[in-house]
Amino acid sequence: MKHFPTRRAVLGTASAFTLLALTACGGNVAGGTAANTSKYPTGPVTLTVGQAAGGSTDLIARALAEGATKTLGAPMPVVNKPGANGALATKEVAGKPADGQELVLLTASLITITPLAVSEDEAVNIDDLDVIAGLSQDDYVLVASTDSGFKSFKDVTDAGRNVTFGTTGVGTGSQLAQTVLFKQANVQGTDVPFDSGKPALTAVMGNQVELATIQLGEAMPQIEAGKVAPLLVFSEERNSFLPDVPSAKEAGYDVPVAQYRAVAAPKGTPQDVKDKLLAAFQETFKTDAYKEFNEKNMLTPKELSGEEVVTEWKGYAAKYKELVEKYDISLSGNK
Amino acid sequence: MDFLNPVINGFSVVLEPTNLLYCLVGVVIGMLIGVLPGLGPAATIAILLPLTYGVEPVTAIIMLAGIFYGAQYGGTITSVLLRLPGEASSVVTVFDGYQMARQGRAGTALGLAAIGSFVGGTAAIIGLTFLAPLVASFALDFGPPEYSALALLGILLVATISSGAKAKALIAAAIGLLLATVGRDMFTGESRFTFGSLQLADGIDFVPIAMGIFGLGEILYNLEERHRAAKAPSKVSNVWPSKGDLKQASGAVGRGSVLGFFLGILPGGGATIASMASYAMEKKRAKQPERFGKGAPEGVAGPETANNAAATSSFIPLLTLGIPANATMALMFGALLIQGVTPGPQLVEQNPELFWGVVNSMYIGNILLLIMSLPLVGIFVRILRVRAAILAPITALITLLGAYTINNSMFDVTLVVVFGVVGYLMKKFGFEPGPLVLAFVLGELLENSLRRSLLVFGGDPTGFLTRPISATLLLVFVLVAVLPGIRSLMAKRKGAAPAGTTNKIEEKV
Repeated sequence: MKHFPTRRAVLGTASAFTLLALTACGGNVAGGTAANTSKYPTGPVTLTVGQAAGGSTDLIARALAEGATKTLGAPMPVVNKPGANGALATKEVAGKPADGQELVLLTASLITITPLAVSEDEAVNIDDLDVIAGLSQDDYVLVASTDSGFKSFKDVTDAGRNVTFGTTGVGTGSQLAQTVLFKQANVQGTDVPFDSGKPALTAVMGNQVELATIQLGEAMPQIEAGKVAPLLVFSEERNSFLPDVPSAKEAGYDVPVAQYRAVAAPKGTPQDVKDKLLAAFQETFKTDAYKEFNEKNMLTPKELSGEEVVTEWKGYAAKYKELVEKYDISLSGNK
Repeated sequence: MDFLNPVINGFSVVLEPTNLLYCLVGVVIGMLIGVLPGLGPAATIAILLPLTYGVEPVTAIIMLAGIFYGAQYGGTITSVLLRLPGEASSVVTVFDGYQMARQGRAGTALGLAAIGSFVGGTAAIIGLTFLAPLVASFALDFGPPEYSALALLGILLVATISSGAKAKALIAAAIGLLLATVGRDMFTGESRFTFGSLQLADGIDFVPIAMGIFGLGEILYNLEERHRAAKAPSKVSNVWPSKGDLKQASGAVGRGSVLGFFLGILPGGGATIASMASYAMEKKRAKQPERFGKGAPEGVAGPETANNAAATSSFIPLLTLGIPANATMALMFGALLIQGVTPGPQLVEQNPELFWGVVNSMYIGNILLLIMSLPLVGIFVRILRVRAAILAPITALITLLGAYTINNSMFDVTLVVVFGVVGYLMKKFGFEPGPLVLAFVLGELLENSLRRSLLVFGGDPTGFLTRPISATLLLVFVLVAVLPGIRSLMAKRKGAAPAGTTNKIEEKV
């Protein structure tokens, strides 16, 4: 017998583990009660990102997680689950237990713009989540190729001809911002979708399309090199990294489009867990490393509370819906 | 010489210890799988793709490239010693290599092959070094119309030049094109063939397809075959070939380098075709063709040089145009995409460290292979004794684990299993997996670029002809498509066998 501790012992250990695991699960289900949450966090807090590693959303998640690991006192691994513009990851996290151990990095376009382009069951509803904190604002800039001769947006409106413009894809802020802008300015334009910002920018540099709207961080090196000309930023105020470029609002157009990002947890997360998380994030925002990160990536801090994020994003969603209906724009296909 | 600066910087990238290590790991794995019949470089790269996820792009591609050209060296060893080609590209080496080994000249054969491989590989890298910046100088002129024309040409060449039955290759390519349409339409946001699943909204990922069809499919297929047990190899001595042998082989090495280089660049070409063409050419040129098949040194040196030169030069269309020339290059394409790098004319400009790092790593890798290949022959041959029953489950496990780690998704694992079964059935029924995978990669490029171009042209297809590069490419496309037909027509007039004609017509489709 001594030589074979095997089957029975193994079974015993296994069932012990199973019991243990079941107990742990039970604890999670009952996570709503205050008694358990005082011990939060009970282990690593996973931050899921719906975009591929290396993109700007992923970089933001990693910068945040690095700081929050220290301020929260628990490791915060970043897990990438790309798919359907982030809808896949967001829906998955929304279905997890609401104990604060599972978070998702949310992009505003998924809530405010994507629903305008895809069917209802593919879209994400912000009410299925508890938003913990807003992070930053990533501005879109309208750039023109050097061969097009456009130096300002007025040149585009004066040209009186059809222009081609690249977007970063269907249902993106880049597409919405340009289609609405051109309708308001009475410019005839052909919408040419690219996979992401980089190929759209390359197409402008090679003059395959005359205009494109790209996130600032991506376009900046080519703007500085003089390979593309910045015409407008779509934020409501001028961007501090491009102080000489007018905002669309200044130019007289009503298209406030930018990419915002926030952290969210499954719906029903206990208040004190949310408070703890918010405090940890706010402490991270104050660190030099995180501030430097924002600076380097041309992100404007927009560190709002969860409630403010929800109100603001819902406001944008309504605004965009109204704009596309008003101008009879369909984000899918060309009109 | 401004142009040399990035080249030299590339060397400093390769000489970083991490990159050197991965280069070494790559060529050793390459030689290893080159020795093992069945598991080819495409399957290995597919299986190891996820492992490269955590390292820098340069490092990852250096390793994967090492596997590819390393396999060309490894395949020779078993061809010569055991009459068991480890790779398809070493099949012709068996004819004379094994005869030489029987005559007690195994060392000479291996030595010639190693030297030839080194020369061929190096010559091709030098060609790559000078040709790439030339192509890249047109980089910004490559817009959607040029890409559509290129993709069209690529698909045609792949479907017509591939080895095996033409009709089956076309069927496989058509399935590849169909699979490429799955997912949310890039232009309208409409879901295509997703069956309401969000998992399929972004389409099917390239990696699970490659891992399934090449990796798991190969493993399953190999299980069916019982490889004969490896015999003790003949003793390998006097590895350095004699002056007479070298002299006899030097012409073959030179011709093999040039032939391999050009055949490697052609889409659908590659190491296997290059080695066969070189063998045929040497035999034709020889004063006593009857020596071939009885241990002629040129019969080993020529094909081995050509297959390495082709393996290296097939990186040219991938790295400079973003068009994979063969299935292994399609996997490299996937590997680069995973790393967030889109191969294409902009690569040399935007990512000089990556480009020159990878190119220059091939010099180092070839030197490593030359040094290692001979002393390690004995060890590699011993690996052949590992039974498939042990090797297969381990590789299958690594494949599935790897598939999970890419997107942390069980759905991908299911996809690998499904495509593994598809790959197995394809092999069993004589369908080459290459055209499917290549068409899958190029299909997406073709569709998106074509639709994008038509938007830019305002729906006018004649726009393709107004741009010099796309017009030239389309002309080449028409020539390639029509030429076999014209040729067979002329042959018909001369009264050639009509049987050949029907085949040629099928090719045009």
